[in-house]
Amino acid sequence: MTFFAPFTIPFIAGTIFLFAVVAIKWILWIVKLPKVDKRLIAHNLFSLSTLAAIWEVVRESLLHVRIFRRNMLLGFMHMSLAFGWFLLIVVGWIETIVYLGFEMIPLQGHVFFKYFMPINGIESHIPLFEQLMDALLLLVLTGVALAWFKRFGSKRMGMRRATKHVLFDRVALGALWFIFPLRLVAESLTAAIYGGNGFLTGSLGGWIAELLPNAVVAAIYEPAWWCYSSALALFFVAMPFSRYMHIFTEIPLIFLRKWRLHPTLERKSYDNFEVEACSRCGICIDPCQLQEDLGMHDTQSVYFLRDRRYNMLSLKVANNCLMCGRCESVCPVGINLTTLRINSRAKRRNIPHEGRYRYLVDVDRSSGNGKVGYFAGCMSSLTPGVQRSMELIFKSVGEEVWYADRDGGVCCGRPLMLSGETDAARKMVAYNTDLFRRHEITTLVTSCPICLRAFRENYHLDGIELLHHSQYIDRLIAEGRLSVSAGEASFSYHDPCELGRGSNVYEEPRRVISAIGELREPRHSRRDALCCGSSLANTVINDGQQLRIAQRMTQELVTTGCDTIVTACPLCHKAIARATNHPVADIAEVVAGNIAN
Amino acid sequence: MAHRVVIVGGGAAGMQTALELKSRGIEPMIVERDIELGGKARAWHKLFPSFTPASDIMQPLAQRVKSERIRCFYGQEVVDIASDGVMLRSGERIPADAVVVATGFTLFDAHRKQEYGYGLYDNVLTSVDLERMMNGGCVALADGSKPRRIAILHCVGSRDEKVCQKHCSKVCCITGVKQAIELKQLIPEADVFNFYMDIRMFGPGYEELYREAQERYNVHFVRGRISEASETINKRIQIKAEDTLTGRPLRMTVDMLVLLVGMSANYENEVLAKRAGLELAPNGYFRTVDSFLGAVRSQREGIFFAGAATAPKSLADTLAEASLTASAVDDYLRRRFNTASTERAEL
Repeated sequence: MTFFAPFTIPFIAGTIFLFAVVAIKWILWIVKLPKVDKRLIAHNLFSLSTLAAIWEVVRESLLHVRIFRRNMLLGFMHMSLAFGWFLLIVVGWIETIVYLGFEMIPLQGHVFFKYFMPINGIESHIPLFEQLMDALLLLVLTGVALAWFKRFGSKRMGMRRATKHVLFDRVALGALWFIFPLRLVAESLTAAIYGGNGFLTGSLGGWIAELLPNAVVAAIYEPAWWCYSSALALFFVAMPFSRYMHIFTEIPLIFLRKWRLHPTLERKSYDNFEVEACSRCGICIDPCQLQEDLGMHDTQSVYFLRDRRYNMLSLKVANNCLMCGRCESVCPVGINLTTLRINSRAKRRNIPHEGRYRYLVDVDRSSGNGKVGYFAGCMSSLTPGVQRSMELIFKSVGEEVWYADRDGGVCCGRPLMLSGETDAARKMVAYNTDLFRRHEITTLVTSCPICLRAFRENYHLDGIELLHHSQYIDRLIAEGRLSVSAGEASFSYHDPCELGRGSNVYEEPRRVISAIGELREPRHSRRDALCCGSSLANTVINDGQQLRIAQRMTQELVTTGCDTIVTACPLCHKAIARATNHPVADIAEVVAGNIAN
Repeated sequence: MAHRVVIVGGGAAGMQTALELKSRGIEPMIVERDIELGGKARAWHKLFPSFTPASDIMQPLAQRVKSERIRCFYGQEVVDIASDGVMLRSGERIPADAVVVATGFTLFDAHRKQEYGYGLYDNVLTSVDLERMMNGGCVALADGSKPRRIAILHCVGSRDEKVCQKHCSKVCCITGVKQAIELKQLIPEADVFNFYMDIRMFGPGYEELYREAQERYNVHFVRGRISEASETINKRIQIKAEDTLTGRPLRMTVDMLVLLVGMSANYENEVLAKRAGLELAPNGYFRTVDSFLGAVRSQREGIFFAGAATAPKSLADTLAEASLTASAVDDYLRRRFNTASTERAEL
């Protein structure tokens, strides 16, 4: 059996190149992983999480279930390309085995089987395979057609903006667009000469045989296979340097994730898997308010990851993000966009002088070892109404409270982390952890979702229950310790980013508000809620730009026709208050004004 | 018949413009939202830099308006302005040959800077509250006792992007110095601290007064904005600030915190401007043709400005500008109707 023809050379070379580069990348990334991560891999390799990872690979890398859920047409496009191509390879493999048995057949023998069949004198066609392979080819071609369509009319695919690509992406994308149409042509020509094949290539071949003279068909036969092979080669060579590297990165990423590896505030080798797993599908562009409200088109997560991957990330792009998490919540690959953005900022490491922390010695002037600690947070000090309301609520339920930061306290550290000052943040974390332990609290209530997220994600506070005040109040009402008077007033609730998407607290504040009056939802709410724009995370946009973001978001709350806008974050409170003259209150203030104890 | 000019607003600017127009033989009419004339200066105690009682200026003005029989509409709000008259909220139209917008400003609502606890803490007041207290002859804490330590915070609602007030309100610096001296005169044993970003002493006698406050009255000036205030258990106010001259954070407890509230553009300006075809500056004040020879003219012929409707101004500047406005209106009427004011007077 011969499985060699000159036209296969580009394909073979391309394939070897591709697998060599991918292997080198994988090995380097894994070797450079920190010890902790390696230990996690070793520990979890032979566990159920590996099986779970396999299942997820099928669902996400092949079927693209998450994209399907978000947008049917887009999901179908990704699925038909990925799953269709995968099946073409698998079914093609089975086909050759069925025809030739378990013989050592080189790779090109499988890929160009249709070409080698007549050469090797295989005459007996198996119709099942012929039809199946054609059906799969049609499936992939549909995906390709949709991809073309999306390039020229992304709006109709439910995406207002598609990604702007780099050169490697354009080469790979161009090659990808032509691989399958060229395969269609090559296989149809084969059918035109030798007959056989399924409903697609077979009938197309029949027409070609009728329309074109035999000499012409014979003359373009070899070049057609050359084109197909070259398109494949071009795609394979560009692939590891283009967005299509995501195909070979998402799979190990899924496994690593199941083995509990995750990105941290410091950059590490694991980040490579996340960064290169981005397929630049551009789904993250539309939800970005910097794009929608401020017309900024270069800073969205897709561009941030692209810039970071090609080592051309500017501090401006790294810093120009609200970290509201709207993109992260829609990312079909589930990339930890916020954490990656934070650890990209940590480049400029500023280790402050020890002497600057001497003040920490006598900051704590609080007393008491109450079981419930209350940490108002710095931002709540700028909205004393919130603190007052919480004090009133504590008093009316007779809670013994230790006020963690009323008479001196330090920042939770998250603002420092967000600006990449990880070392300085660690000082705050250490101080506060020690403070909470010393006062022996079991519950920590905070009025600031930013602090809450820091306590949850960046502190080790095992044994201390961490609650936002909306959760705490909800519990007081549920336990019957606090009763509120229900009235006619209507409230529209704004989900703060750090509380909603950041800490997954959606229901508690809604239950509390519903106990007092009528709850009205703005157009975007819960996971989809808009950011107030005053995020501490963005150090690039100016005050006027923050205000513009706040105004559109506030408008949605005002148009619900509610009496009062309610939020649960002091920062959002301030942002809304300056964007409208409509009454705005923190949830604690609403509750404190309606206590019926 | 004399030409009629409607003046929107019966504060210092409106009254002075009306009087100047009257003296030129033009018939002014004042539409005032309040039930009496005088605007915000009526409630003021003493004026900088000479400590002249505000009533010495405002009362004679109001009396002259009365004795000159200038027609005044009280309790009426103007909802639409055009060069040929104004429309009141009641639906009534007052026709005129020209209109002067003398609608002044709105005091910055100190509640918006919640971090200072205005409305939440008993002993946090605004500069306006303090003037009212001084009118009553007694500056006291909520429990009736005398404050021993007073902080005056400059720039509340001025030069503050966080509350969308980027402009300087111009008069608060000198007001802060004036009030500090008055407090020291009333309660000599009290310590008074002024927290400022910059001290802008632009007027005649201002800088001298600033020196006097330090040398003669021992008022303490601290360069740094107060970041937050909280109430202690005995109703005192604990403030946090940074002394930016020494570069050190500062925490101090005072008995009383006075917020020098700035001047904001009226909320209604936006609607009025839109309907009348006038332009607004980014800070919400009415935009004049230029800051030189067109400083009282609007983009519309026949509509003029006087006073703080176009920018924060002191009372002295406002009164001076009113004459300028009257002269511009007179010029306009003369050009438009081709009559000399002397002829009009004879008519």
